[in-house]
Amino acid sequence: MSASEDRGFDASVEMQQRRALLKRVAWILGGAVSAPAAMAILQGCSAKEAAPGAAAFQPRFFKGKQADIVSGIADVLIPKTDTSGALDAGVPAFIDSIMADVYPQDAQQRFAAGVDEFETASAAGGKSFLDQDLSQRAATVQQALDAALNGEHPQKPFILVARELTLLGFFTSRVGITENMEYVAVPTAYHGCVPLSQMRKHVYWE
Amino acid sequence: METNSFDAIVVGSGMSGGWAAKELTEKGLKTLVLERGRMVRHPDYPTATKDPWDLPYGNRITQETRLRKPVQTRTGYPTPANQHWFVDDLDNPYEETKPFDWLRGYHVGGRSLMWARQSYRFGPLDFEANGKEGVGVPWPISYDEIAPWYDKAEIFAGISGSVEGLYQLPDGKFLPPFDLNCVEVDFKKRLDEKMGRKLIIGRCANLTAPLTHNESPQRGTCQSRNLCIRGCPFGGYFSSVSATLPSAERTGNMTLKANQIVYELIYDNDKGKATGVRVLDAETGKQTDYFARIVFLCASALGSAYIMLNSTSSRFPNGFGNDSGELGCNIMDHNKPGNSNANVEGYLDVAYTGRRPNGFYIPRYQNVGKDKRDYLRGFGYQGRAARSNYNRFNDTPLMGAELKKAALEPGPWTIGMTAFGEILPYHENHAKLDRTKKDKHGLPVLVIDAIVRDNELKMQEDMRNDAAEMLEAAGYKNITVKSDSYNVGNSIHEMGTARMGNDPKKSVLNKYNQVHACKNVFVTDGSFMPSSGCQNPSLTYMAFTARAADHAVSELKKGNL
Repeated sequence: MSASEDRGFDASVEMQQRRALLKRVAWILGGAVSAPAAMAILQGCSAKEAAPGAAAFQPRFFKGKQADIVSGIADVLIPKTDTSGALDAGVPAFIDSIMADVYPQDAQQRFAAGVDEFETASAAGGKSFLDQDLSQRAATVQQALDAALNGEHPQKPFILVARELTLLGFFTSRVGITENMEYVAVPTAYHGCVPLSQMRKHVYWE
Repeated sequence: METNSFDAIVVGSGMSGGWAAKELTEKGLKTLVLERGRMVRHPDYPTATKDPWDLPYGNRITQETRLRKPVQTRTGYPTPANQHWFVDDLDNPYEETKPFDWLRGYHVGGRSLMWARQSYRFGPLDFEANGKEGVGVPWPISYDEIAPWYDKAEIFAGISGSVEGLYQLPDGKFLPPFDLNCVEVDFKKRLDEKMGRKLIIGRCANLTAPLTHNESPQRGTCQSRNLCIRGCPFGGYFSSVSATLPSAERTGNMTLKANQIVYELIYDNDKGKATGVRVLDAETGKQTDYFARIVFLCASALGSAYIMLNSTSSRFPNGFGNDSGELGCNIMDHNKPGNSNANVEGYLDVAYTGRRPNGFYIPRYQNVGKDKRDYLRGFGYQGRAARSNYNRFNDTPLMGAELKKAALEPGPWTIGMTAFGEILPYHENHAKLDRTKKDKHGLPVLVIDAIVRDNELKMQEDMRNDAAEMLEAAGYKNITVKSDSYNVGNSIHEMGTARMGNDPKKSVLNKYNQVHACKNVFVTDGSFMPSSGCQNPSLTYMAFTARAADHAVSELKKGNL
């Protein structure tokens, strides 16, 4: 998201005015106020901080090279193509925050150990993950995924956790949603059976 | 001028309290509504218009929230989008002898803001079952007596649904039904053809069309956002904040006070009446007494039972109106032992647009007509079919540009459904006060002891087997049937703690929700239910509350209260 979309201080004043307006409209006109119009007013309220981009972030959970390794993994799982990738969506910062605040301590420790082991294993294979070029990194991650999916594991292997969180972070981000799905904040109606051929995009956010 | 005296006091502002407030104020009573939680006003719902990327952590719950709300979060209901509606468990403790999920919303509107909006009538089958089978106490009222009140509740709230002519699930005054989607239509057809079972669209309190009355100008139609639990700025679904409280407000007869914890009824032994309630201010701890000619307890089944158990006097040493010994007992909920899922082949060229705040419903068919089972009562299923999303890639090796390409297409169809079944009233399933333990306000803590027993466990087997059988009959693949352990309370339909009945020796309330032993106190939340049915109960609370308010005002006018 560009910095120009971050409206900063003015947004809060504007938001209060919009809310006040909507409240009046909703109370006075009630059912007569058109839903899209009311939502257009409300939409202005959701001015928000710029999403964390690919730029460096201050990790709260990752230590040493862990942030770079997780960024490298996310980048090859969902690379930038003609559309945005995991780094554009701020996935590394997302994983850092979800580890710091959402995961319990034992899962945190497993994940941190998993990052370190992933790096150790790739270095033992000849070249440290961080020294690999993109195609080598993709091959390393693919190999790790295949091994994790084929074996039996008492706990979900690190690479699958990293993968799950990359997908979650990406497909709940602004670019991940709006570039890959039809995001309609106010659908106004539900249509139960629509041919894909009549849909602007085939996947609607839900 | 500030006064502590009113015509009526309503305790609680949720599903039932909102209705009591509306009905009593519209009939001219100066009414004080006391809510223990904070103020909420339509349309101020803090997360209602947040986009998905505005929610932190992919909408997952943090450890910090889990520490404050261990009971609420263990159920999986709260998310960052809605967690502000769920109580802080540390500030609002209770004890559970057996695991009991007590999901609570302490704020104006209560759980009417968070409910799933499913709205079904109980039918003659439900009202007659206790009497015919000798279970608990017979309902003191028939379906025909409550039917006009269901009409009233449905028309005011706005319930969408389809007319089906089912004996076990009476039709109501419906707004147009939501669509079933393509696969649900397929499932409906196959169930009908192969098993003679009905699948219908859920009946829900979302406005699929404008209301048929002009009493709620603040409400608009449902926009199919399916973000209802956050509160709807359009007023697209029924809550007391969007519907009943604004009606009460407009009469000029309502005084609504937030942060007021009612902990005791005041009883006047000479008059044989309740004269008011004792209140603690949740923020300042200040104690105040409020007085009125009638009191409506609408604080939820366990909340109202708590207040009554805590209201002892020489006349009521065991709790208010508890001559029968049934106060706090007969806790019921809906039996819900896990969901069933399957993959559906085909239908790959179709999907749906909009987000439906509703699903399908398979009405109860067990112990209806010729379908006899080895347990009493029955269950219905609630479910939906949908195209799978990006989660389907989780445990696959797909990555890179190929993954991005695959994500541009919707995944295969899946279908899932959950059974909700009747729980019988057992005297042993009870709540009582532990006066040795106190919460931060110095009030005793509720101890809840409730489990499911033989009838429910037998029913659980059928809930799983029938689901698998139906999904298989429909030709769906990879059927999975979960057998999660079910904690009573998890369906958030707790009820039965002050049941109504004709016999004062066996019940707490009479057929008008009046305390048998103290007629100017009415209890109209889930407490009054002598049986649980398998239908979502809120609509029934609305209907009974409206009827009780009508009776209360008519009795007041006759000088009987």
